Amino acid sequence: MDMLYITGLHKRFGDKEVLNGLNLTVPEHSIFGFIGKNGAGKTTTMKAVLGLLKTDAGEIVVNGEKVVYGQTSTNRYIGYLPDVPEFYSFMTAPEYLRFCGEVTGMKKSENENRCRELLELVGLGDETHRIKGFSRGMKQRLGIAQALLNHPKLLILDEPTSALDPVGRKEILDILMAVREQTTVLFSTHILSDIERICTDVAFLNNGVVGVQGKLSEIKTKYRSKEYLVETEREADLLILQKTFPNMQQTGRNQLIFHESHYTIFDMLCFVTEKHISIVKIERTEPTLESLFMEVARK
Amino acid sequence: MKSLLAFIKKETMEQLRSGRLIILGILFILLGIMNPAVAKLTPWLLEVLADSLAESGMIVTSVTVTAMDSWMQFFKNIPMGLIAFILLQSSIFTKEYQSGTLVLALTKGIQRYKVVISKTVVLAVLWTFGYWVCFGITYGYNAYFWDNSVVQNLLFSVVCWWLFGVWVIALLILFSTIAKSNTDVLVGTGSVVLVSYLLGLLPKLREYLPTLLTDGNFLIYGVEEAAIYVVSLIIALATSLICFVMSIPIFNKKQL
Ligand SMILES: Nc1ncnc2c1ncn2[C@@H]1O[C@H](COP(=O)(O)OP(=O)(O)O)[C@@H](O)[C@H]1O
Ligand SMILES: [Mg+2]
Repeated sequence: MDMLYITGLHKRFGDKEVLNGLNLTVPEHSIFGFIGKNGAGKTTTMKAVLGLLKTDAGEIVVNGEKVVYGQTSTNRYIGYLPDVPEFYSFMTAPEYLRFCGEVTGMKKSENENRCRELLELVGLGDETHRIKGFSRGMKQRLGIAQALLNHPKLLILDEPTSALDPVGRKEILDILMAVREQTTVLFSTHILSDIERICTDVAFLNNGVVGVQGKLSEIKTKYRSKEYLVETEREADLLILQKTFPNMQQTGRNQLIFHESHYTIFDMLCFVTEKHISIVKIERTEPTLESLFMEVARK
Repeated sequence: MKSLLAFIKKETMEQLRSGRLIILGILFILLGIMNPAVAKLTPWLLEVLADSLAESGMIVTSVTVTAMDSWMQFFKNIPMGLIAFILLQSSIFTKEYQSGTLVLALTKGIQRYKVVISKTVVLAVLWTFGYWVCFGITYGYNAYFWDNSVVQNLLFSVVCWWLFGVWVIALLILFSTIAKSNTDVLVGTGSVVLVSYLLGLLPKLREYLPTLLTDGNFLIYGVEEAAIYVVSLIIALATSLICFVMSIPIFNKKQL
């Protein structure tokens, strides 16, 4: 079943068309990476899902229920962490979580337990100071705790790692890995290494539409690079190869790369056998998300 | 209901921890003490100044002070209390718009109207409490020093002024749901009060405007009948309710 389903979402600010018929499907129990450049419209999309932003056209369905602007009933399925979470800074972390629990109508004892459990999970169990003095990373972790409070079916995080140092990033990613059993995670980012680390699904947002989306592994296969790298033992062999295959390019010591559109790997291998060229390695280069992203962005 | 109570609790905690509760508490207590104190000190002050006044040709006859003078001070000073109250509370909504703190509470599923109700309740209770503490202190001293029974329409006149405060707070709530910054809130609220005051200078309109309710002095001296105030009392009550009811759909559609 799909936890979140968006079709034909349009949103313009003034004469600027930010979302231009966006379609997105987030399957249940995925960790879904929502990738896009700064200003691509990631935050706009998420706010629309939460009913915080009036859209111009399109339909958003969360857990089978339609989202209506200004109304909050679908938000009972959702835990949300905004890009810059702002809490009541005069409260302490436990006070804030308890307040959130009371607002959602949790029972008192259940609320107490859940708060303690979550503060432990995000490493704020011993924190007694008011939120006023919290660091960026601490706020982000408290933000995840409040988002998880009422066992959401869908956890939406807006760039949870962007403003953090590598240690803070790892902490957040570890927490997300830890909760994937209980919920579906949708998070936006422009940091591709985060995606590679934890995501099962991805979508690339570009020019107001989702360019490519699907399982990370499938996308990687689909966009598998058609480039090969050959490394020879002797330098002289490079010249022999290049004479027959002029479109091969030298990239390093004794290394050549070529693209499948120019020569097939089989022709190359026949030639190598025929000429008894000693090979150190032949490999198909891995597509990086970077190159994928560039390819999507170029379209 | 639970979420409403939770939000009211949060508002109260904020009033307390931001220091606003204490500042207002001290202010209303001080105002309450000041009214009889100024009245009490007037003859003494005049006596001290008598010599210099005599030199300049003014003869000071002994003045007798009554509870009346103290209540006059009350109606002269209570506007300060209301103005301080409005200044301190003008950012009760806008601070949340600017910092974005409401977003999380709303995505937790609290209905927007409960936010408006919570803030309104806290402001109304705070104003009511501060106002009647101030009144109580003045009343106590007056009873001790003089005699409150010389005052006409006392309860009615102070209820009128209290309701005027409620009316201004209702305006504050309405403008808080419309405007983005607390300056806009203050300008909006202040303008309406000013317009009401200016129109009130026209004798024909005076009896229909909420600002009439601040003329408590005419009531306690019996210059005017209480009955004259009933129309503006009802109008103030009705417009307060309208402001409050209007602020809910406006807040519902507000982009946060
Ligand atoms: N309230 C707004 N008014 C006008 N323009 C906006 C507003 N919010 C966002 N935008 C514009 O919409 C675009 C997308 O913004 P956003 O969704 O925040 O991007 P992202 O989160 O992907 O970085 C940006 O160009 C931004 O300038
Ligand atoms: Mg953003």
